[in-house]
Amino acid sequence: MKVSLFVTCLSEMFYQNVAKDVVEVLERLGCEVDFPRGQVCCGQPAYNSGYRKDAQKAAKQMISSLENSEHIVTPSGSCAAMFKEYSELLKDEPAWKGRAQAVADKTYEFTQFIVNVLKIEDVGAEYPARATYHTSCHMTRLLNEKEAPFKLLKNVKGLELIPLENSYDCCGFGGTFAVKMAPISEQMVDEKVRHIEDTAANVLIAADNGCMMNIKGRIDRKGKPIEVKHIAQILNTRVEGRI
Amino acid sequence: MAVGTIHNKDAFINKISSKLGRDRNESVILPKWEHRPQFEVLKGASSDELAAAFKNNSLEKSTYVVETDAKNLASALEKVIEKYGGGQLVASNDQRFTEYGLDELLKQTKAHVWNPVLGEENIAVTKKANIGMFFSDAALAESGTVVQFNDKDIARSISLLPMAYVSIIPKSTIVPRMTQVAQAIHKSVEEGNNLATCINFISGPSNSADIEMNIVIGVHGPVEAVHVIVNDM
Amino acid sequence: MAMKIGDKPFFDRVDDALEDNFMRNAMAEAQDGLRGRKLKATVEDEQIGDWEEWRSAGEEIRRHTLENLDYYLNQLSENFARQGGHVYFAETAEDATRYIQDVAKKKNAKKITKAKSMVTEEIGLNQALEEIGCDVYETDLAEYILQIDDHDRPSHIVVPSLHKNKEKIRDTFRDKANYTGTSEPCELTAFARSQLRETFLEADIGVTGCNFAVAESGTISLVTNEGNANMVTTFPKTQITVMGMERLVPTWEELDVMINLLSRSAVGQKITTYVTNLTPQLEEDSIDAPNEFHLVILDAGRSNALGTEFQSALHCIRCAACVNVCPVYRHIGGHAYGSIYQGPIGAVLSPILGGYEEYGELPYASSLCAACTEACPVKIPLHEHLIKHRENYVEKKGMTAEKMAMKTFGIGASSPALFKLAVKGMPAVLGPLVKDDSISSGPGPMKLWTSVREFPAPGKGNFRKWFDDHKKGRNQ
Ligand code: SF4
Repeated sequence: MKVSLFVTCLSEMFYQNVAKDVVEVLERLGCEVDFPRGQVCCGQPAYNSGYRKDAQKAAKQMISSLENSEHIVTPSGSCAAMFKEYSELLKDEPAWKGRAQAVADKTYEFTQFIVNVLKIEDVGAEYPARATYHTSCHMTRLLNEKEAPFKLLKNVKGLELIPLENSYDCCGFGGTFAVKMAPISEQMVDEKVRHIEDTAANVLIAADNGCMMNIKGRIDRKGKPIEVKHIAQILNTRVEGRI
Repeated sequence: MAVGTIHNKDAFINKISSKLGRDRNESVILPKWEHRPQFEVLKGASSDELAAAFKNNSLEKSTYVVETDAKNLASALEKVIEKYGGGQLVASNDQRFTEYGLDELLKQTKAHVWNPVLGEENIAVTKKANIGMFFSDAALAESGTVVQFNDKDIARSISLLPMAYVSIIPKSTIVPRMTQVAQAIHKSVEEGNNLATCINFISGPSNSADIEMNIVIGVHGPVEAVHVIVNDM
Repeated sequence: MAMKIGDKPFFDRVDDALEDNFMRNAMAEAQDGLRGRKLKATVEDEQIGDWEEWRSAGEEIRRHTLENLDYYLNQLSENFARQGGHVYFAETAEDATRYIQDVAKKKNAKKITKAKSMVTEEIGLNQALEEIGCDVYETDLAEYILQIDDHDRPSHIVVPSLHKNKEKIRDTFRDKANYTGTSEPCELTAFARSQLRETFLEADIGVTGCNFAVAESGTISLVTNEGNANMVTTFPKTQITVMGMERLVPTWEELDVMINLLSRSAVGQKITTYVTNLTPQLEEDSIDAPNEFHLVILDAGRSNALGTEFQSALHCIRCAACVNVCPVYRHIGGHAYGSIYQGPIGAVLSPILGGYEEYGELPYASSLCAACTEACPVKIPLHEHLIKHRENYVEKKGMTAEKMAMKTFGIGASSPALFKLAVKGMPAVLGPLVKDDSISSGPGPMKLWTSVREFPAPGKGNFRKWFDDHKKGRNQ
């Protein structure tokens, strides 16, 4: 299966290891991965802050560079959800609207693609740890993907997954919200970290780099001994002899 | 009753039409709704099933439930009155008390039967009453609700002012949910009938959760509620 | 203005709120409780089938009604007046209060009882009635608590006194009303009952809001639990109901659906204890019913949303489900919004009713987590409305540093070459700040980030190059 990686700007700038893990996992599962060079940022920071025109520019660039792909896969539920907004964003430009929809229709978040398209729930990973999982708002609510990460994590050997209290509450990232409304965001991420601590997990797993950056930033600032990992990093561990 | 007044209507409504970007809408046909989940609730349930659901949902709303039949209704009510401490009983002015052979009970308990001719005296008695008794016009299985169509005889005060209300529910009047009652009312309106001044759906004793989300039973309305289901089928 | 709460600027209000640990605990607990109750009565209640179907039904009904608002308002007013009621269409809050003052004067009213209503709060009705010498009694328990606490302001549209705990309420009752009991909710409630009992029977006018009005029959529907709304509409000889102009349904069949959505979403009940439907079938000699019934239909800025992208904000049925799941509301509470409409719906509605000048910052008080949109029983896309508000707000403002940054972003994001350059340049720009693989104290807007948390150090490698090398390796 042919897959184009939409790496996202956060991954490209800060979490290149995550991007590499995504590529390796997909290849191991039999995909042929390419990386369309024209890709930039999905435009969400501008869109969410009310800068529609600037977001449109980003959207068009993304559509042009990815529309020839068979499947578009991204390690971020939030950025995938932004693609789903494109046809609304470009609704007044008939030349673009249809193209936007076509791109949206073949875009998948990483775990969603593995479970729903590749139909694989056990990738043969092993990660002995006590962990908890942070469900990101955009992946669960805007992309409506609530199950894929859990299906995959359930089959990771040695991984003990502890449910996270108030998991449905936002971690306080919200893009520019984290700086625009810093005092409120601080309280939100603090509560999230408290709940994570309550699970006594050593590892927090997430599938969105934005949330990770926020939660990890707070965990580190408070000096808590909890590692923060993207789900691709967990899935890219291997058990010899499996798959 | 004379027709009432309407002030300022045309300017107000014309502004709405223009905001909606068109001329005033003079006729609208209600669409056939695509989503109608209300008709699926307790669909095809038997009268026993409806009565059982009504009972459970009444209990859930802190309401005491009695099941009886027409023959034993008077004695069942007598027991209820006793259980709730007797005292002043007030009843609505409803033909059904006679039909169900309850005149004797009302007499014997010295009940005050609401009588429009007596004017304010009705309220004076009712506000001190311990029990208000009335027939329910329909009952909702889904939520343990009784329905009253109030007028000057089926007075609003009876289910409202006394410490407890006792509602008599003929089993045949239990329907799945509000949907069936709303449908009947809608039909009646379409046929050009006037509605009762107050159509009240009542589900148990008054309550509030305004203080720290603690449910407190008994606020401004009754503190106790009793649903007496009479098998009339 | 009566819709407005407090005079401080937004961030000062937020700071005040964040310092109030007591209030924040109350909010978090209340939210958890309300959210749980709602879920139990909606998605988890098998008896009513698929909750999503109900939401779709609600959305469909609200959309149709608002699209034909002119028709249904006309129908409602005609049916209401035909049966003897009086209808007043009020363009502004002042129009509404003036009309109600006139009625009170004509009736020579001294005592006025009120059932819970946000719309009368919005128009500042109590004050207007007190100005002409009336005594106004709030009778909903939460509103009663606020009123005797020197007119404290509402912090939640369904439970306006949500920010107070039982000890605070006891103290208020003790200080203002000579209460001598404990802080037990039962005892506090019994006190309110005894205080208001006679007042209900003596009042000259009863004032209510309106959950829904039914156009086909001219009926006002009130959804309550305490029995106070029944008291308010049963004993005074004159009833005045104030409704926001959007709060109506075509027929009883739609009323049924809306009552179910409201009861379950607002308080997690299958149906509220009272659903009281009042039609002005007035009788001169009625003993326990009013013989005069006024309906005031209010615009007060609502029409600003009609025919715009914000029209669906008028679909709102004020259930507060969105408020109860909002993580921002959870931490800052209701008063920080500076409006009697708080939480997500408050952030959407307040700028529509009161303008961007006053409420332009509210739409930013959201992380766009969409919990509100998911919770809304009539499927209002609340988080999308918040984005639309931001677009309008940005448009209105001149060139700001943020706008500059976004312009730059737009240019960068539409040019892969520039984007690549930006990514490449990251380590050079941020490099000097990195300590132990992260940044603890950054410049400019980054400071706001690093005041709370670490900022990651930019990755050292170049992903695009890695990818090329990796591909080459695989192809060999
Ligand atoms: S916006 Fe929706 S969830 Fe919020 S109060 Fe209104 S109806 Fe309820």
